Amino acid sequence: MDSSDPKTAVMRQIQQEAAVTNARSLVEKLNDHCFERCVPKPSTSLSKNEETCMSQCIEKYMAAWNAVSKVYVGRLQRDQAAGNSGFV
Amino acid sequence: MDSLGAASNLDFTKLSERDKQELQQFVVQESQKAALQSNIHKTTDMCFKKCVTSKISSAQLDRYEAPCMEQCVERFMDANKVVFKELDRMRALQ
Repeated sequence: MDSSDPKTAVMRQIQQEAAVTNARSLVEKLNDHCFERCVPKPSTSLSKNEETCMSQCIEKYMAAWNAVSKVYVGRLQRDQAAGNSGFV
Repeated sequence: MDSLGAASNLDFTKLSERDKQELQQFVVQESQKAALQSNIHKTTDMCFKKCVTSKISSAQLDRYEAPCMEQCVERFMDANKVVFKELDRMRALQ
């Protein structure tokens, strides 16, 4: 079962921490971008429009993040297959 | 009472050589993954700024934004390559 094996325990902890860090980065960027874009002039409360903008922005940013992940990894793989030499 | 939380409470003296090697390899892999994820976050941040410039009025990337995001990643990596090539050239001149 679980923690009698220190190796497995360490591996699990490393993976957990990596996942937390990754999620935290995403949340931070979502907050930054969407607040910047959707609440240019903070007033006494979030308006309905600002809230709608926030939720659309969050989904859009996640779509952008997914797109970047796909293209980025694809590009790395292509470059690697091409032998890394700087030639285009 | 001893929940398994902190790795510092673990007894590493029991690890076999093989386990140690495996662990080391795992750590290398995970740091590469973490570096990749961090790069993806940075790139998304940068390209979102460049590509999503109009008022946000839908939850999807529109037909301008989607190709822009893709091109942004590709061109950023092209530009990266140029930087390295240029640094290489400068070093060779020294």
